[in-house]
Amino acid sequence: MTRRIIRDLPLNRVEGDLEIRVELEDNRVVDAWSSGTMFRGFENLMVGRGALDGLVITPRICGICSTTHLMAAACALDQIAGVRPPGNALRLRNLTLMVENCQSDLRQSVLMYMPDFATPAHAAHPLHAAAVKRYAPLAGERCIDVVRETRKLLEIIAILGGQWPHSSFMVPGGVTYIPNLAELNQCRGLLQHFRRWYEQQVLGCSLERWQAVRSVSDLDAWLEENDAQRDSDVGFFLRFSRGAGLIGQGRGHGHFLSYGSLDIPSGSAVTGGEDRYLVPAGFRTADGRIEPFDQSRVAEHVASSWYEGVGGRHPFDGETVPLATGADGKKYSWSKAPRYAGLPAETGPLAERVVGGDALFGDLLRCYGPDLVSRQLARLVRPATLLPAMETWLDELLAQRDQPFYETVPPLQQGRGFGLIEAARGALGHWVEIRDGKIARYQIVTPTAWNGSPRDDAGVRGPWEEALIGLHVADIDNPVEAGHVVRSFDPCLVCTVHVVGADTTPLRC
Amino acid sequence: MSLLNAAAPEVGDLFRQLDIELLWHPSLSNDSPAAHDALLEAILAGDVALDILVVEGTIVRGPANTGMFDTRRGRPKKDLAAALARQANHVVAAGTCAAFGGIGTNDTLQGCGLQFTGKTPGGLLGAEFRSRSGGPVINLAGCPCHEQAMTGTLSALAGGQALALDEFNRPLDWYGMTVHQGCTRNEYHEYRVEETDFAQRGCLFFFKGCHGPLADGPCNKVLWNGRSSKPRAGVPCFGCTDPDFPQSFPFFVTRDIEGVPISLPKGVSRAHYMVYKGMAAAAAPNRLKQRETKI
Repeated sequence: MTRRIIRDLPLNRVEGDLEIRVELEDNRVVDAWSSGTMFRGFENLMVGRGALDGLVITPRICGICSTTHLMAAACALDQIAGVRPPGNALRLRNLTLMVENCQSDLRQSVLMYMPDFATPAHAAHPLHAAAVKRYAPLAGERCIDVVRETRKLLEIIAILGGQWPHSSFMVPGGVTYIPNLAELNQCRGLLQHFRRWYEQQVLGCSLERWQAVRSVSDLDAWLEENDAQRDSDVGFFLRFSRGAGLIGQGRGHGHFLSYGSLDIPSGSAVTGGEDRYLVPAGFRTADGRIEPFDQSRVAEHVASSWYEGVGGRHPFDGETVPLATGADGKKYSWSKAPRYAGLPAETGPLAERVVGGDALFGDLLRCYGPDLVSRQLARLVRPATLLPAMETWLDELLAQRDQPFYETVPPLQQGRGFGLIEAARGALGHWVEIRDGKIARYQIVTPTAWNGSPRDDAGVRGPWEEALIGLHVADIDNPVEAGHVVRSFDPCLVCTVHVVGADTTPLRC
Repeated sequence: MSLLNAAAPEVGDLFRQLDIELLWHPSLSNDSPAAHDALLEAILAGDVALDILVVEGTIVRGPANTGMFDTRRGRPKKDLAAALARQANHVVAAGTCAAFGGIGTNDTLQGCGLQFTGKTPGGLLGAEFRSRSGGPVINLAGCPCHEQAMTGTLSALAGGQALALDEFNRPLDWYGMTVHQGCTRNEYHEYRVEETDFAQRGCLFFFKGCHGPLADGPCNKVLWNGRSSKPRAGVPCFGCTDPDFPQSFPFFVTRDIEGVPISLPKGVSRAHYMVYKGMAAAAAPNRLKQRETKI
């Protein structure tokens, strides 16, 4: 006889508060609901504020990606002002955003994802003892190392922008500070140190060796090539995942979205794709077609979210009117349900790679589907794709530091603009309308709103709800498998600003 | 995340040195949901000692005082926070939201701090609340709270050392000076050489909305990430340690009366200040007026 039960799983070690409800049939997930459990209302408190206030308030949405919100807010205001900031401002902004992304990718992987390998749920795994030694919370060797090295890397943002997190050094027209030679050289030293550490410890090989891995068979060969690669974080992650039977688990819908990111200044030695962005934009459907991205096709649904309204609305027409109806009805989350061309879309490092036509991740997708191992692997190795451009931009800043960092922008009175970028977790958009010198509307659609969305008006599940379907859960009191699936999306519920707060979870020590 | 900036000592070392056992942290712990529930029950039953409770984030009371905008397993988190506070030997509010309500103090969220709402005593626990050690909630204001205020406070509490507090229960060791003190732009301030636009070299107080001379905090004494501070990098101080942060009027702009800021440096009389600033501007050396002094 089959046994159907429903379980609520609060999930920690995500940025913010998240509860997953799963329906299990003989320990297999047959349905799932993802619930962001806090309304934050950031957007509503923006209305009526000064035109530049998004630069101060929105970074404070999140402790791990505040520079990212600053970037999106500044880009939206650039658009309203009708300016493209000078090349040095673009370089400095890009560099700091990439520093924050590298920090986030490594902290998420090593402090939030890998500690699941160190739980008793994996005690039978031959690598469990090694996982505890490496990834036990705060005490694991790799955790200590990652805290130290990401902390040093973040000093670059403090040197260029004053502090991390929560500075506001990007303003419409550029940046607030012109770094001197000594400061830029200090950044160079910090970046070189980080790169060497990342190569030695996280990859176990040079960036160039990693970039030569272009297929699943290349990856298999890389993993067996030497001890340094086997014992690196990437190597250990792959070996543990394979041993735990995680390959092929946690597959999403297979629709991928990237807004594109990192505007390449003219005359830069950094080269991108067809558009002027280092990270390309696009939408890839489950059948493999890649379409150009068009922001007008974004809409947010609230049928399953605790807000008033019907139908999908574009963010420029978006409303955030809370409607707390309790847990019994159709509504079950403080997250809205963003859809692209009516479809749910997965976003994040894997989406960036797939939309950009990356050979390795294209092959992984063909072999294993859009599974949790590829999703997490894409995050762990993303710094390998960013570091060369970071070095180039820093060298260009050093060489051209007498060129402008800021172009004067008169006070903003009227207009609409959007800042669409790739956060560490994927597509982030700020849609802003200014009237009479004040904010008239501010709508934010976050990566976690995409990935962790509830059902839409048509009842279609969000990406990680879908990815949970079919998952086998060995121990329903410690459903570590569900944790792997959801954490592979790098959830950041604090950012799902209609929503939740890491800043709000009420205890530690 | 700010706490992970701690360098001397690093956060893991800090806990080991102080012999602090981290019972639970939302971003770090890997307990199962069942183990987490059991831990909470044990603390609330008094079976597990809670020496220090650190609370982050505004206490959400909305809608209609139910707290249902922020829940754990369908129950308002504010009730859990209050119950845990009653078990704790020391209670620490990490950040302006937990201390004073901060960004959450609006009509929708109805947020408050643990023991204040803005400058008004009360908050979630009430003005009379005392933790088991006999002290009020220690407010480590800031958005975010400076990592040194957090590591320093934990060190003092673990070592049994008393912390002197100001009128808003912020420890004087980190809030007994203004953000202005130690700012590299101080000389520009002295002679009233002011930034009128971004990316200049000058003081940000007269035109760009800097709160440095009014805000209590260590930002220019104990640098951020060991490197710098916002005003040093041309970003005005936004006064994030103030109980009324965030202000309702626009950032990046100084409100003034006839060219002199409405809000003057802490404790300064308006008449004296106007005379002083007039004379200071007249006395400004050319190297400052020409912005030649590199800061």
